[in-house]
Amino acid sequence: MFKFDRRLFISLHWGVLSLSLLLAALGVINLYSATISMRAGHQIFMHQLAYYGLGTGIIVLILSVDYRFLLSINRISYVAVILLLAFALISGKQIAATSRWIDLGFFRLQPSELAKLALVISLASYYSRRDCCLATGLKDLLPTIAMTAVPFVLILLQPDLGTALMLIFIFCSMTFLIRVKWQTVTLLVGSAFAVVPVAWLWLLKPYQKRRILTLFNPEMDAHGAGYHIIQSKIAVGSGMLFGKGYIHGTQVHLNFLPERHTDFIFSVLAEEWGFLGSLFVIIAFFGLIVLIFEIAANARDKFGFMLAFGLGSLLLWQGFINIGMILGLLPVVGMPLPMFSYGGSSLITTMIAIGLLLNISMRKFMAGSPGLL
Amino acid sequence: MSRNRFQHTITRLHKMDEVERFFMKRRVNVANYIVLAMILILAARLWNLQILNGTGFRERSNSNRTKFLSTIAPRGNILDRNGKILVSNRPCFNVVWLRPDRRNSDRTIRKLAGILQVETGTLRDKIRNAADQSRYIPVTLAHDIDWHTLVYIENNNLSLPGIKVQVIPKRRFADPDLGFHLIGYLGEIGAKDLRSFAGDYKGGDLIGKSGIERTLENDLRGEKGHMILEIDSRGFLKEQEEVVKSLPGRDVYLTIDAELQKTAQDALGDNAGAVVMMEVNTGRVLALASTPSCDLERFSSGLNEIEWAALRHDKKNPSMNRAIQGKYPPGSTFKVVTAIAGIYEGLITPETRIKCTGAIRYGNRIFRCWKHRGHGQVTLEKALAQSCDVYFYILAEKLDIDTLAAYSRALGLGELTGISMEQEKAGLVATSAWKKERTGESWQRGETLSVAIGQGFNETTPIQICRLYATIANGGILYRPLLVERIVNPNGKTVREFTPEPIGRFDDPDGVFKIIRAALVQAVNDKHGTGGRAALAGITVAGKTGTSQVVHTSRFEGFKAKDIPKKYRDHAWFACFAPADKPEVAMAVLVEHGGHGGSVAAPIAHKVLQKYFNEKTKGKSTAATVGDKNKPLNQPTG
Repeated sequence: MFKFDRRLFISLHWGVLSLSLLLAALGVINLYSATISMRAGHQIFMHQLAYYGLGTGIIVLILSVDYRFLLSINRISYVAVILLLAFALISGKQIAATSRWIDLGFFRLQPSELAKLALVISLASYYSRRDCCLATGLKDLLPTIAMTAVPFVLILLQPDLGTALMLIFIFCSMTFLIRVKWQTVTLLVGSAFAVVPVAWLWLLKPYQKRRILTLFNPEMDAHGAGYHIIQSKIAVGSGMLFGKGYIHGTQVHLNFLPERHTDFIFSVLAEEWGFLGSLFVIIAFFGLIVLIFEIAANARDKFGFMLAFGLGSLLLWQGFINIGMILGLLPVVGMPLPMFSYGGSSLITTMIAIGLLLNISMRKFMAGSPGLL
Repeated sequence: MSRNRFQHTITRLHKMDEVERFFMKRRVNVANYIVLAMILILAARLWNLQILNGTGFRERSNSNRTKFLSTIAPRGNILDRNGKILVSNRPCFNVVWLRPDRRNSDRTIRKLAGILQVETGTLRDKIRNAADQSRYIPVTLAHDIDWHTLVYIENNNLSLPGIKVQVIPKRRFADPDLGFHLIGYLGEIGAKDLRSFAGDYKGGDLIGKSGIERTLENDLRGEKGHMILEIDSRGFLKEQEEVVKSLPGRDVYLTIDAELQKTAQDALGDNAGAVVMMEVNTGRVLALASTPSCDLERFSSGLNEIEWAALRHDKKNPSMNRAIQGKYPPGSTFKVVTAIAGIYEGLITPETRIKCTGAIRYGNRIFRCWKHRGHGQVTLEKALAQSCDVYFYILAEKLDIDTLAAYSRALGLGELTGISMEQEKAGLVATSAWKKERTGESWQRGETLSVAIGQGFNETTPIQICRLYATIANGGILYRPLLVERIVNPNGKTVREFTPEPIGRFDDPDGVFKIIRAALVQAVNDKHGTGGRAALAGITVAGKTGTSQVVHTSRFEGFKAKDIPKKYRDHAWFACFAPADKPEVAMAVLVEHGGHGGSVAAPIAHKVLQKYFNEKTKGKSTAATVGDKNKPLNQPTG
């Protein structure tokens, strides 16, 4: 079936692959420490390992198909994701007073994770059909704005401000690759600022407002909304230069850190490995992003370029917002750290992204024939 | 989807001219700078948190999980002179609330209230009252729980986050009724003691409040230990470690003999009074009893306010240690002082005879002898033995009050004996200057007559009278009364030993004490003596009765003691030493409103002396026990 071309192997971006493997390994090691003292910790850890297995299978599957195949399923996947989001909203399982999940019995799907991927693919597909050097006006951007707005609103209603904002960041990042008229940029940014007070007054849920307020003064509500920020800052700060040692983080193992295996996983790392360990992971993670941008720059075609850049910026924003929030720089929003946080949907999404990126790098030499199957 | 359409889509994408790629690559470069900026922002923040403020956060993470706790050191034991334990320690289980960092403690408190069978509000109040204390100090919710409750709480500790059972040592008394005033009780340290006592006391700590527990607080208390408790965010205790072990207090060996103490207390019975027994040649106190007494056990579990109020308003004042704090006119026990003064001032000799007719007139007042018929011709010996008042009235006519006061002071009256116990009273030896200052009036000669027989202004404590008779017995040495023999480290090493301490000496070149001693032998052993009921078989007791008037009028003259209301009855005294030829112990007995010394106080002395000599012979051989000599005695007393 698949005619193996030696060039596929040679062109594979080994830097991205090895950095991804390194980060995944660190993620697994760190998750082990985070979960070891939890009641169902072992089960959580084993689940994550299973998702890694599943994700590896998905990567192999993705590599065997030319990424340009996505162009043909682009619309279907986008519509499917929108339907899933709508379904989650209507009948989604209520966890932590939000309807983010769809229970498949063996797996709780978080469609908002898939929505990020679908949006990247759709935007890449749309923009790759345009001449990037021509100044684009508002009229030509309207389809992509709409493409972003629909899942944005659906996710915001769940409510999941973090993931919703993520879609905006993806839109902004990918639109950055094409030339947009200054007037249009001004208009969009201006209306975004105009939306802020409106959002504050009518759109944001009280808990979301509280989280943003406590960012500026966490001690204001040390037991409530500020608790996460205070405890995670204590965990990070108390790591000092060398950390407390693997599995020796007191904040972690005495359960002072809430959500430590999901969104707050980085504070476990910072507490146990200290400044040196944390800095190493940050450099490795953002180094990976730079290498991903290199894949983009060397992509065979505009779609590959756009897709790789979109996926890279997706990982970039997730990493930055997550770590920034743990370090108390950004408000607490639901945002997993790729490859570190526990969570099947997030992990699978990340691995699909890595698979696609490797796919793009492998096929940078390919000519017109898609080499499908 | 047709393959054609797919191919078509692909071919449309092929075109990516160099201009476009160049443009997009430039944008990617900008993006790379943004990534770099992000790395720098995060690294700077990490540096700020972990390096610049790391120490502070490390401390906060430690205090997040650790609570410090002082552990109470077991106090030293208190033993009697024979090594019999009077006070030791037992474990007492308290329920404490560790105050974890947690909002929702309602369920735990409700559950605990159910187990302890108290109102939830009571527990909540205790937690609320402790709100201003440092958070690391646990709040005690229940004190001294029983074994059953303890087991129940320990078995349910998984559903009681933040709750811990703390074991603290608590006083155990061999006999809770024995020596309340002597041993003393513990209580929470007050503001004054917090300032004045050196050492690491904190509010809520126990400190000796009276008796030996108080005077030897620094030896008994030991040193606190320190414990670190590690608790998790839900308040469950993870680990505990005693980083500094507490050091038990030192053991204190008293000079007290528990058996004698018990005999003395029992002999006093329901009377209010005191018994002090002392070794004449060392000053060691063998018994220091005061009644009414209190239950040590009840005091050690802490009195509530109602009990305190009841105690404070008790007319019999059970908290007063009458042996050292009770001030009473010495009565006829004082006559020995008048006699010594008379001889040394050359006013009388042992041979001087004075006729007692039952009363004398001095000024415009009649001074009566207790024996209204009169004693007839009286020598010094007879005057002391039969407690003739007139003899001393006539002596006192020639005696200056300030001279008498000087002799009194030289024999240890009017001053603290120096016993190592707080709040000893000095009593009073009246002088003309004292009266002038006190009332503005000058001394009346007639008042000297009253003082000479132990009535009037003078006030003495039982321990002073005991020491006075010990001094007469040993030939003039005033010893400081000793309560403590030695203090022993927890490892058994003696750290302090208390040797007899002569603090004064009454020079007796003429051997007057010998004459006095002979007279006191007669007082107990002569058939006309007033103290006959103290006599023992086989051992010669020397002693003096005393009756100190409470009411200064003749309202009840001629009444029998039992017909007079108790509070108007005289105080009964008996002071003695034995054996008379080679004195070992001296004793003073006081019974408040007891009536006559000979009939009330002397029998008490008899019981204690009998016990003393029985114990001694029991220890030595199978020699015949000391018994009553002449039990039925209808001696008049005075």
